Amino acid sequence: MVELEFARTYAAPRQLVWDAWTDPDQMALWWGPRGVTTPRESIEIDLRPGGRIRFEMVDDATGVRYPNSGTVVEVDPPSRLVYSDDGFPDGSGKGTATITFVEVDERTTTLRVHIVADFTDDVRAGAERGWGSQLDKLAELLAGD
Amino acid sequence: MAPAAAADPLSVTFGALADPTRRAILARLAESDATVNELAALAPSISLQAVSKHLQVLERAGLVTRGRIARQRPAHLRAEPIADATAWLAHYRRFYEESLDRLGEHLGRLQGS
Repeated sequence: MVELEFARTYAAPRQLVWDAWTDPDQMALWWGPRGVTTPRESIEIDLRPGGRIRFEMVDDATGVRYPNSGTVVEVDPPSRLVYSDDGFPDGSGKGTATITFVEVDERTTTLRVHIVADFTDDVRAGAERGWGSQLDKLAELLAGD
Repeated sequence: MAPAAAADPLSVTFGALADPTRRAILARLAESDATVNELAALAPSISLQAVSKHLQVLERAGLVTRGRIARQRPAHLRAEPIADATAWLAHYRRFYEESLDRLGEHLGRLQGS
């Protein structure tokens, strides 16, 4: 297992950030890295403990679809959301995400994303590269921003 | 700690990397192979036994192989598990960093800025 944490401060009221994260109509507009689209019709969010989350991410370049699913663990609007990620069909890639919405002032919100993740066995990209820079890169990644 | 065989490879890699002495040993091995004696010379406070134990952990994680030269058995760094761990982390970080960037842009558009 490994833990990762991300934090961003947005010039937006907390309720707005909460809605952007939890409303499927809005999630479709931003979820996923660049080059990936999460189609609105693929998104289902049952926002209560035990409720299911489903969506698909589509690689814009290849059209390959990546289905995702999970379960809401805790929901406390507009400040805290915890959900699990089912990972891949072979049982790998499971994890839990805790999203915290901190009100800095009435129009500023700090978003914290805390991930506790398992691993997939099939991460081989980059394995053929020389390892010389890998320790440095790993240290940078572990150190965060 | 659970037996290494029960854990997935990346968990074992991260577990092995979670110790500063072991990371120092890996950094030294990144320069060249080294014997236990040479590795113990890295820090005055570390015993030969401690180095041997750390090397066993690194060996189980597949991060180090040991030579067969008589009693010396120089340790050699294996890159592949580190590359796998790095690739996995890079992938995960990119996913969230770019999603959170896009969320910021979305919030900006919502508020007409």
